[in-house]
Amino acid sequence: MQRHTVRTVRESLLLLALAATVLSASKSFAIPAFSRMYGTSCSTCHIDFPKLNDFGKAFKDAGFKFPKDDESMIKIPPVMLGAPANSELWPKAIWPGVIPGIPPIGLRYNNYFQYTGTSSSKFNQLLPPGTAPPFIPTTDFQTGFFSIFTAGNFGSDIAFWVDDDISVSGANANGGLGEAYLKFVDIGRLMKLPSYALSLRVGQVELDIPFTQSKSIWISPYDIYTQANVGAVNAAFPLQQFVNNSFTFAGSGKGIELSGGHSTGGYHYSIAFIDQNTSGASQGSNNNYVPTATGSNFGGVGVASDSNFKDIYTNFQYRFNLERDKESRNAIQAAGPTGPRDHTYLNVGSYWLYGRSVQRLSGATPDGLPTVITAREPFYRVGGNMTFNYRCCLQFNALYMYGHDYNLLPIDANGFLVSLPVSGTPPPVGFIHSRPATFSGGFADVEWLAYPWMMVLLRYDGVNSTSDYVNGLVPGGFTGSPFNGAASATRNRITPGVQFLIHANIKASFEYQFRPSQSVVIGTNPITGFPVAMNPFHTNTAVAGLEFVY
Amino acid sequence: MTRSFLFTLLLIAAVAATVTAGTIDGKVSSGKSVVYVDTIQGKTFPAPSQQPVMDQKGLMFNPHIMVVQVGTTVEFLNSDSVQHNVFWPSISGNKKLTHNLGTWPKGEKKAFKFDNPGVVSLLCNVHPEMAGYIIVSPTPYFAETDASGNYKIENVPDGKYNVVAWHEGMKQQSKSVDVAGTGKADFTLSK
Repeated sequence: MQRHTVRTVRESLLLLALAATVLSASKSFAIPAFSRMYGTSCSTCHIDFPKLNDFGKAFKDAGFKFPKDDESMIKIPPVMLGAPANSELWPKAIWPGVIPGIPPIGLRYNNYFQYTGTSSSKFNQLLPPGTAPPFIPTTDFQTGFFSIFTAGNFGSDIAFWVDDDISVSGANANGGLGEAYLKFVDIGRLMKLPSYALSLRVGQVELDIPFTQSKSIWISPYDIYTQANVGAVNAAFPLQQFVNNSFTFAGSGKGIELSGGHSTGGYHYSIAFIDQNTSGASQGSNNNYVPTATGSNFGGVGVASDSNFKDIYTNFQYRFNLERDKESRNAIQAAGPTGPRDHTYLNVGSYWLYGRSVQRLSGATPDGLPTVITAREPFYRVGGNMTFNYRCCLQFNALYMYGHDYNLLPIDANGFLVSLPVSGTPPPVGFIHSRPATFSGGFADVEWLAYPWMMVLLRYDGVNSTSDYVNGLVPGGFTGSPFNGAASATRNRITPGVQFLIHANIKASFEYQFRPSQSVVIGTNPITGFPVAMNPFHTNTAVAGLEFVY
Repeated sequence: MTRSFLFTLLLIAAVAATVTAGTIDGKVSSGKSVVYVDTIQGKTFPAPSQQPVMDQKGLMFNPHIMVVQVGTTVEFLNSDSVQHNVFWPSISGNKKLTHNLGTWPKGEKKAFKFDNPGVVSLLCNVHPEMAGYIIVSPTPYFAETDASGNYKIENVPDGKYNVVAWHEGMKQQSKSVDVAGTGKADFTLSK
């Protein structure tokens, strides 16, 4: 019975991991509503949607409107929410405002087909002879996202964006809000700051990470962006860590963001303050005493934070446009001999996030009275990135990240370490600092627009996490590691891909993932005495995706 | 004397007949179209000095369709605040006549002399939805129809001609027309 349960969990996790590879990544969006409004093609703003070209970046920076003469470009005039003369009454105010002349709504659907290497059958070795093996399909069709998104400008440089997955994997319940925010563009002008020196974004946002995950052209997510930090808890190893930080850059944050500069040249910065939630769980909504944001004592939504602390995120980028001609260098797009194109440029930057991971335990006071003890473990993520873009068609990207979580181990009343996971006996009374849980890694990719309708891709992902490695070396089961029985602490993945724009709004994508090796047979190293993965194998996958937006 | 007078009258009448300015009219079933007299063997015409302007404004070519005589120099203007490009992949399907005028910002013009007759499909490689047409007529005898498809080509000398009708998205059609003061040709175009 217990073995059956283990197998079921194992199967579920394996399939979940495989499905996650396909589904967790490609939350990508282009905005056909803008095509309708301006009567222009997707390719005005996108190279291989949803990847933005320089004009698309400038359009976004300006608050989803043309950087110059926007009014003359709009084919469907906006609806005035007040006569312009009203502004004479309150010249310093921001009304009367407009709403788009049509509901700026776009829809997107994608589905996938995945082929998994036959080596996946090695998972059968987990089971004793005569036991039904876990079934991992070699080929599998999967529905992806059906998403709705809306964006535009309310006038007075106030932009908005909302996207929501109506269904994921064919299940409506799995949908969720991606980003939803208002952006007050160039509010720095009210303080007589230089143009575009300060904008404000409020709502649920993807952090201003150097390479977007939610609007990536890749089917598979960047491994480093999905890296949580779970400390080592495998009892077979001496290394023990009380770290369970589910924060990843792949998720959205709720809060505010100040930003400035341009994405098309020169500096760009952002500073964000977002809710702390490293436990991954929203708090309950049935608080009798404190009203929730959408209700009184009962009802409404629960609060999102799991502590008072707000994570702080900063990002600074500088982009050098490399055209010799100054006029062209400072234009939104370079004037190529055959047409406008993106600049040849070098972009370098760095980013940093600081938070406090909260874990609460049922413990005791030194006097033995029951209480709840709280570990607030500072953590940070820091890294750098670079992009070299050559003219229209060739781009090299790289990102590095280092993650560090302070590690507070629970101790009992005698000052001895409490075994992990905490069982309650003896009750913990406090914490002492121990070896931090760290990880590092990143990715490097090359994106070559071979034709306006064909993008060739190659990416390397690498993640080094000792705790993931240790946690995965558990015979017959998963313990929170993203990989079972990884052959080493560093997980490498190489992903070639190619994408075709069948139409400007229809795309076929193919990726082959040379995935890290893992094992289901865990032995013991005769020299160290520690568990070790044996007979490691790769579950490589080939994924084909079809998606359209309209 | 009388004989010479009659001869002179006959001569004047004959000359007058050859230079009579006739018309060709008719209707094109598809609505707004272009009709022109095709190449006349042995006849050449001086290039006009006027330089019409094809504008790019609001992410559109304006006018959407322009008809010019062969040898005309057309000026391409960008009136938008975004950069535009102008190119054509062929002239009447002849890919050797493809040309890319390049890119230029607001307020600037580029000129091109069209020495080959045919249909020039104007495109912008930044905004692929943009399309315009220049119909380069081999003769000065051409007209654009009204919205109902009615046209009238004036100052056509009497004679026998091939008259071509063109409409965006339709197969062009030619008909032989005899002009003796007037000529008439109706066209029913199909895709």
